[in-house]
Amino acid sequence: MRAKEARIIDEQSDSSAKERAPQIATSVLGIRKRFGKTSVLENITFDVAEGEILVLLGASGSGKTTMLRIIAGLERPEGGRVILHGKDVTDLPARERGVGVIFQAYALFPKMSVEKNISYGLRLRKRPRKEIREAVNRLLSLVQLEEHRKKYPSQLSGGQQQRVAIARTLAYTPEVLLFDEPFGALDTQTRVHLRREIRALLKKVRVPAIFITHDQEEALELGDRIAVLNIGHIEQIGTPQEIYNWPETEYVATFLGAANVLPAVVRSGGVEVGPTLMPAQIDWSRFREGQPVKLVFRPEDVNLSKSDLPPSNAAQLSKGTVEQVSFVGSYERLSVRLELSGTNCGGTSEDPFYLTTETPESQTAKPIVVTRTKTASHGAPMKPGDRVVICLTSFTLLPDSAKNS
Amino acid sequence: MMMPLVLLPLASVFIFGTSKGLHSFWVALTAPEAVFALKLSMVTSFWATVFNVLFGLFAAYVLSRYNFWGRNALIVTISLPTAIPTAVAGFALLLLWGPYGTLGRLLAPHGINMMFTAGAIVLANIFVTFPLAFGVIKPVLDTMSRSLEEASATIGASRWQTFWHVTLPSLRGAIVSGALLTFARAVGEFGSTILVSGNLAGRTQTAPLYIFAKFNEGQIEAANAIAIVLALFSFLIFSVLFFARDWLDVE
Repeated sequence: MRAKEARIIDEQSDSSAKERAPQIATSVLGIRKRFGKTSVLENITFDVAEGEILVLLGASGSGKTTMLRIIAGLERPEGGRVILHGKDVTDLPARERGVGVIFQAYALFPKMSVEKNISYGLRLRKRPRKEIREAVNRLLSLVQLEEHRKKYPSQLSGGQQQRVAIARTLAYTPEVLLFDEPFGALDTQTRVHLRREIRALLKKVRVPAIFITHDQEEALELGDRIAVLNIGHIEQIGTPQEIYNWPETEYVATFLGAANVLPAVVRSGGVEVGPTLMPAQIDWSRFREGQPVKLVFRPEDVNLSKSDLPPSNAAQLSKGTVEQVSFVGSYERLSVRLELSGTNCGGTSEDPFYLTTETPESQTAKPIVVTRTKTASHGAPMKPGDRVVICLTSFTLLPDSAKNS
Repeated sequence: MMMPLVLLPLASVFIFGTSKGLHSFWVALTAPEAVFALKLSMVTSFWATVFNVLFGLFAAYVLSRYNFWGRNALIVTISLPTAIPTAVAGFALLLLWGPYGTLGRLLAPHGINMMFTAGAIVLANIFVTFPLAFGVIKPVLDTMSRSLEEASATIGASRWQTFWHVTLPSLRGAIVSGALLTFARAVGEFGSTILVSGNLAGRTQTAPLYIFAKFNEGQIEAANAIAIVLALFSFLIFSVLFFARDWLDVE
């Protein structure tokens, strides 16, 4: 059992930049943007490798749409550079950049047939008629819309319109494809189906792509890497596994999936949560004895048992009482109250549960969320009122920024 | 309520006009002055329409796509002619272009006299129908999704190419409606044209002026024949207006 510690950020991005260096398709360097007095983007830097799919994930107001529009040339940044395949395009207008944008509502030209929409870029570039015809045929078969070539956008389904929009940009071999919340207008089923289809298509044509979305599930499934954006800055960039399993900030931990966050203190033998000490190996290069931290763990990383013996692969956190059991389809969700409150009258002068925004009571009184698979819940059925031993199979420690600063 | 106020007067135009038989109707209609008046109305209205549609399109595009100081004031100014009585419009034109007018005084020595010509009728028509095409086109531009034009730009189109290939096709319906509306209004214009045209039969007499003149002379049949033509003409335009947008906007 070992705590999965976040790695040192600088080192990681340095080494990965070196690995990718020869094939960077798009880089964004220190982009800054403000609207009036409010800063929308602060020093945004990332790059996208050839054939890679990067997802910019953020809530509304995080600045992700503005970032996309800056890359497309539809918005001018106050500072920073946009580089496409080694060429600085920061001062070029949208039409000279050669990027492909898939707009939220696809923005197909309503008075042009599917064919005309797809050939628009080539017609603007005055390509020979024969070349245009061949390109349109090739793209129509790529997106499987051959039989719809004469139709108008209003006669197509949402998914078909989206494929036309993609084909329309692929026609002029774009430097990078930018997707602006492409699945927002569709129902859940179509959305899931389409994003798999589009990912497969993008991997086939190997055009680098940037998606923006607020849907974390979409980001995890679609992206080769995810950049989590929060009010104008990047919280973390990494593969879906890295972002989900090793969140570097509390925002990332709670924005991507559910997470339990408990205030704790680093001790030599492990992590002190209230009156109990959970045994753990501490990365002493990041933490020091007595440092207040946040203990972050996913609902599925909790092991509940009625016996006092913790499983060998998990660390015992505390005892608790099951408060609520609800069935949510493929798994079972339990709400468990920790037995931490009331006993926390030890020698520490500083109450470890105290946070500026929350009272000690509200922190300790907050039940944790646990999910269990069908197999686990069948093996040891639980009902409200049961007393259980709570063990963690995996967790992350984050420096408590509110207390460190 | 519609019966005595709208439908009966219209019906009596047709009943009266044909009461003395189709032959006398035809004779009244083909009188040289009548034919001339109809032609003059059509030609002057046509040029006023061409001008106002082109101007309306340009003004609507600029005012809906760009934000600049005095934009709202400009919108109000363009729409102003709707509120001005047509007689005032005609009078104002006389004061500007007439032989003793502000501009006319400067032009008269050079042998240029705008008033009491077909040109004056076009000017009057332009004035009174000025905001019509603009008023139809601008709301369509305002509600058009900006992402269409942005998409066109990212694909590589210049501003002009985007306007020609993307914006203009979506305005077809609005342009046709605006043009028909302008034309219909111009053909029927009376108040301003009677002041600026001089009302010379066979030279500057439009169809509505012809009706007025013949009525004053007591030639009811002659007035009535043209009235029927104008009424039918406006029915036609109205029905086209009613269906045109559907036809044009259907894919």
